[in-house]
Amino acid sequence: MADQNTSNTQPPEHKPESKMKHIVSFGAMILLTVAAFVLVLRDVVPVVWVLPLMLGFAVIQVLLQLFTFMHLDQKGSFYYILFIAFGVMVAVISVTGLVFMP
Amino acid sequence: MAHDSVEIKPGVHLETATFEGKNKVMGFWMFLGAETVLFACLFGTYLALRNQTVNGPSGADLFDPVLVAVATAILLFSSLTSVFAMMAMNKLDKKGMLFWLGVTVLLGLSFLVLEIYEFIHYIHEGHTFMSSAFGSSFYALVGTHGAHVTFGIIWISTIMYQAWKWGINTETAPKLFVSSLYWHFIDVVWVFIFTLVYLLGMVG
Repeated sequence: MADQNTSNTQPPEHKPESKMKHIVSFGAMILLTVAAFVLVLRDVVPVVWVLPLMLGFAVIQVLLQLFTFMHLDQKGSFYYILFIAFGVMVAVISVTGLVFMP
Repeated sequence: MAHDSVEIKPGVHLETATFEGKNKVMGFWMFLGAETVLFACLFGTYLALRNQTVNGPSGADLFDPVLVAVATAILLFSSLTSVFAMMAMNKLDKKGMLFWLGVTVLLGLSFLVLEIYEFIHYIHEGHTFMSSAFGSSFYALVGTHGAHVTFGIIWISTIMYQAWKWGINTETAPKLFVSSLYWHFIDVVWVFIFTLVYLLGMVG
């Protein structure tokens, strides 16, 4: 949390983010998307495995999106992660409650 | 915090260079946390009601994998172009930034056109907001996402105009950065929509 001091001095210079990192991350997202489609359109795994695997792919893809495209991997992101994690926590509780409500 | 105190040069993160900019980004993550909960409630409702089709068409009857794949590809690609825009912004490359933002907006528009076409098709098939609980929860969820895309297109376009007029500085950079976070968030929500609405609907 070194960046959290609210100084108006020169902000630290960052090395420019490499384009490669984002392209690799994008490639991984494409692969995860294709994998999810293949699971559903081809009978590669037993039906009971489809939903958990698909959800797993979605979660990995979203984490990639958050930590590369949305820059959460950079220094000084502690509070951003805290806020979004709290949102996700309430979200998971809400969805679980709604789905399993009798 | 005086804006002039920050020297504008490539490599400096202008979006968080001022106290105001920092607060904007911080506040925006708080907003995204709240948005996550909003969409979670809509997802939960949809998942609970998706089999209540009242003799109308079900997801398995309606959803077309090709259309969903195209929509997913468009949105994922627009997320990448939005990252490229932010990288151009950090290099103070205004032209490059406006180009990539323009591509992002165009991809967003094509996604929207595809979604409108899809909804019109569904309505002809008898799947409407009022046809069943499945219909209501489907349109509430996917429609709210579509409304976010619409808002994102308008928002990014107006900020593109500001950046074109005033350039990349400590005033415009936080706005550009935050709108790109919003655009990524739209894609994050779509990942769960194609998984839990479309693909799960095709499984049955």
